[in-house]
This record gives sequence, structure tokens and C-alpha cells, in this order.
Amino acid sequence: MAMNRVASLLVVAALVVLAPGWTAGASSTHTPDVVLQQADGTPVPLAAYEGKVLLIDFWASWCIPCKTSFPALDAIFREYKARGLEVLAVNLDEQRRQADAFLSAHPHQMPVLFDPKGAAPLAFGVKGMPTSFLIDKTGTIRFTHMGYSGNVDARYRQEIAQLLSEK
Amino acid sequence: MTLTRTHAFALLLLAAGALAAGGCATVQPWQRGRLADRRMMFDPDDAEVAYMTHWQEAREASSGGYGVQSGGCGCK
Repeated sequence: MAMNRVASLLVVAALVVLAPGWTAGASSTHTPDVVLQQADGTPVPLAAYEGKVLLIDFWASWCIPCKTSFPALDAIFREYKARGLEVLAVNLDEQRRQADAFLSAHPHQMPVLFDPKGAAPLAFGVKGMPTSFLIDKTGTIRFTHMGYSGNVDARYRQEIAQLLSEK
Repeated sequence: MTLTRTHAFALLLLAAGALAAGGCATVQPWQRGRLADRRMMFDPDDAEVAYMTHWQEAREASSGGYGVQSGGCGCK
């Protein structure tokens, strides 16, 4: 009988050890309270964008579709910034020099922030690169785009227009 | 049902395996920079692969076997 109890305990212990791997990356519909960094290390809390329509894009220099999505999202930023859209391109490169090389090769106007430790994508539940989130004025994540192809440009514009028109 | 010594040993081994598996790290999508590096590819140089494939096909009098899609008739 004692053996059975030991066996049960062992099985429970194994489940406890393995469980964290399954639960990592859970996401919520409300914008996580994360802090990003500017190029000089100045902290930028995401809470500072409350009340605004925000497009936050997670990218990295080594990610092939990001080479296309980065200029496309910058074009969206230039098109909609006068109407109040905020865009944050959050770089997730572990080595800053790779991000800097990419940025110097891709002229842009949208703000680029950094999160080399990856706390923000974990909080957002990012499952692939690139992933972008469209957040409405109440701070709710309304639309998510994983990966990128030119076909989704029209959908981005439609969703942004919808969120900007909401009060 | 009572647990025999063999069963207990097997369970202990299973538990030890499960504990060891707990050490496996989950690589997040944004942590794949090094894995995405060209140096991590089996064949990073397309031109070299094309040359070597051509060279091999010419000497072995056969072609394909490198992911070439066909209907299975053996023709390219």
C-alpha cells in the first residue's frame, strides 16, 4: 500500500515538473503592463499609450518575413499617424548590433523600441515572428496578426480605420 | 493490486525520466535568432548545392532524391 502511495507521489511530482513548459506564453485580451526600452535604454511603459489606438509589432532582424512587414507597417504608420495611430516596432534581437544593422538598412519613421530579454512577447503570448497586435482606445487587444504577407495590408487598414472611428 | 518491486523500479525510472525531461527548455519564437543563422543550415550556399548535385548526377547516372517533386514515375 505504501508503495502505491509512493508511486502516486512520483507521478504527481513528474507532472508538476513538466507543467511549466505547457503553460508558458498564455495571453490575455487586455494589454499586458510591460515596459519596453528606447534605443538609449530609457524605459517606455506601454501604459503611456492608454487611450490611443496602438499597433505593436514584434520583430527581429533574422526573421525573413520581418524584412517585408517592417517597411509595410512603417508605411501604415506614415499614412495614419495624423489620424492618431501609434505604432511601436518592438525589436527582439538578443544582439543589439544586428538590430542596428537592420535599422540602418531600412529607413523608417515609426518608433522602434527594444526588448532583448523578451518579457513583452511572453506577456503578449507571441507564438511566431513577426506578430502584431492592434489595441483599441480602451487597451483591449482587438486584432492579432501572426506572420506577414502583402495580402493582409488591406485588412490592417480596415481594422485600423475601425478602431480609430471608435470613441 | 499490490506493487511489486519490479513495478516500483519501473515507476522510479519513469519518474527520473520525467524529471530529466523537465530540464528541456522551451525555445520561444523570439529566441531563434541563432537557429535562424545561415551557418545553422545544412546547405547555406545554393550555388554550391546546385553544382554538387549536378556533379553527382553526372557521375552516378541518376538524379533526384533531393526533395524533387514528381508523381513517382521516376522521371523528373
